[in-house]
Amino acid sequence: MKKFKVMVIVCSFLLIGGLITIDSSLAAEPYHLGVDLAITGTGAMYCKDGTDAVKLAVDEINAKGGFLGKHPIKLFIRDTHTKPDVAVREAKDLILRDKVRCVLGTYSSACAAAIKPVCQEYKVLHIPAISNSENITKVNFSPYTYQVVPNSYMQAKAVVLGVAELAKKKGWKKYVTLASDYEWGRSTQENTVQLLKQFAPDLKLKKEFWPRLGETQFTSYITAIMAQKPDFVYGCLASKDNANWMKQAKAYGFFEKVPYPGSLISVSELTTQAKTLTRGLIGLCRAPFFAHMDIPMMANFVKNFRAKYNRYPSDWAVMEYDAVYALKQGIEKASSIDTEKVKDALKGATIDTCRGRHYFRKIDNVLSCSSYIGVVADDPKYPFPIYHDLVEVKGPDSWRPEAEIVAARAAKK
Amino acid sequence: MDISLIFAQFMSGLSRGMMLFLIASGLSLIFGVMNILNFAHATLWLAGAYFCYTFWSLMQDYGFGMWVSIFLAALSLAAIGWVIEVVLIRRVYNRDLSEQLLLTYGLILVIGDLIKLTWGVEDKFIARPPLVASPVFLFGVPFDSYFIFVILIGFAVAFGLWYFLKKTRYGHIVRAAVFSREMVSALGIPIPRIYTGVFVLGIFIAGLAGAVQAPVGSITLGMDMAVIVQAFCVVVIGGFGSLLGTFVGSMIVGEVYAFSILLWPQGALVLIFIVTAFILIVRPWGLFGTPMRA
Repeated sequence: MKKFKVMVIVCSFLLIGGLITIDSSLAAEPYHLGVDLAITGTGAMYCKDGTDAVKLAVDEINAKGGFLGKHPIKLFIRDTHTKPDVAVREAKDLILRDKVRCVLGTYSSACAAAIKPVCQEYKVLHIPAISNSENITKVNFSPYTYQVVPNSYMQAKAVVLGVAELAKKKGWKKYVTLASDYEWGRSTQENTVQLLKQFAPDLKLKKEFWPRLGETQFTSYITAIMAQKPDFVYGCLASKDNANWMKQAKAYGFFEKVPYPGSLISVSELTTQAKTLTRGLIGLCRAPFFAHMDIPMMANFVKNFRAKYNRYPSDWAVMEYDAVYALKQGIEKASSIDTEKVKDALKGATIDTCRGRHYFRKIDNVLSCSSYIGVVADDPKYPFPIYHDLVEVKGPDSWRPEAEIVAARAAKK
Repeated sequence: MDISLIFAQFMSGLSRGMMLFLIASGLSLIFGVMNILNFAHATLWLAGAYFCYTFWSLMQDYGFGMWVSIFLAALSLAAIGWVIEVVLIRRVYNRDLSEQLLLTYGLILVIGDLIKLTWGVEDKFIARPPLVASPVFLFGVPFDSYFIFVILIGFAVAFGLWYFLKKTRYGHIVRAAVFSREMVSALGIPIPRIYTGVFVLGIFIAGLAGAVQAPVGSITLGMDMAVIVQAFCVVVIGGFGSLLGTFVGSMIVGEVYAFSILLWPQGALVLIFIVTAFILIVRPWGLFGTPMRA
């Protein structure tokens, strides 16, 4: 009898121990999250903020136990060097070696387009939060790719509506474009030119300039553009190219002579060029924090970001942060970290972001987020200029009609 | 075509050419004298820009801060050049070209990572003093006033190098060492010291070029890779080791680029490579190089 009692006690301990082990192993299963951003190269200026925001979001979620309160996030950050071949190599490494379930990124649409098929092949979620060429989601559609940034078409449409209005008011007739010679620059320029034909048919494109990605000296472009005597210039430059261009063009007195409406002036440019940026410029940005300080999620994010990094978050930080929380909400909707279930849960899902409540459009998995246009002006609340007279162009008012996407996909086949 | 338009484009090509000359002259000098193809030259150029930023940060409240920073950055790079020559380069003088290339390529990675560790990945900006912050008007054409300084520095370096090589005793020794190290050595002149001096001078000019570039735009990682290709085009066109060739090559690249942007914007870079390829085919030693170096 005594032997039997001992056996029962031992078996009970083993059973309880086993259950605890099983339970704790389930609870401890981490969620491997990959980040494939440009730590170096042309995109480094934007991506530092992006990676910092991802780290902040991950810390916040992990403080509550991780995804679903039981899957702590393990972060793997890789450098694309802003080169598509490196981005692909790192994405594959993240997937095969680090076993990530989702790849966040990327700066440079060329990088995003390059890693999209890799993620699709290995059935891994892909959320490009900075790259915004519409081709990432318009053609060669991958059900694993979700975009939380206003894409190049949405941004172009937002600019075109503003520029068409200005052209009518000021009697503009001819313009030139200046765009970085790579996927995003080409795609945005093409969309803008097409839309301008539609919304301002009297405007004539006089010349196109295509500085290479990573151009350090724009002097020849500045003089060549001024020689064209355009009524305005539309620019599609980003990151350090944009910073170089703005600084050098200002030194030529360019902005006093030629209107430059609707070009990308993100919070990064507003903060880093606070002293030198020409006031009165009409700029475009993707996710300015100051536009949504009334939304608690944004207010908290700005407060926490500033507390941790001692600076204001840029558009890129906001969007990367939103990407992590989009993933979190997808996992919660799926009640699982299983990639297939999360992918399906995100389809058409409505999510809360720092920029308000938005939904993913089913046809292309693009978030219904807004584009922002405003006038660069000083503000007593901030140590850098922000946008005044801010116009928010909503995603559903600016994205490409679904019929055109269907047609583009059919044509691609 | 309007003459003022041509003049504006010529000036932008001249400023671009001068910037390239500042980078390529040190590269060409080191190769011409020491027969070392320094792949890391542009990375040292980038380090010069970062050093300039650091010195400027310390002196930004003073009007002279930027000018002094440029000079201090060049001096800092000269010191780094001395260390690199004594510790590394000296050991590969008599090795194959491939080993020299491997070493200097390795230096790109090491120096690149050191820059990243020291200055981080964020872009750096130098605010120019008021004297060079606004445009000047030359014959009614606006021109970035800072580039007048760049052009003057370019001419000063070209003249200084010419004077040094042609008119000074040390320069004569350097030129003699190009043709016969053994003969110069037999005369009791220490070749290693000559080489160290030339390498330090070449890196000083690289540092100066980087520091001069720094206030033009942003300073960022990866800038060196974009520049090294064009610097090699310059020395291929002009001829490795030829100071005059480097100067003419820089002007050709700068002006071809500037005018092709005006006339055929899509083909600006392509044209430079076409010119480079053409020179390589018909005159592999460059316009002013000697067949000995082909």
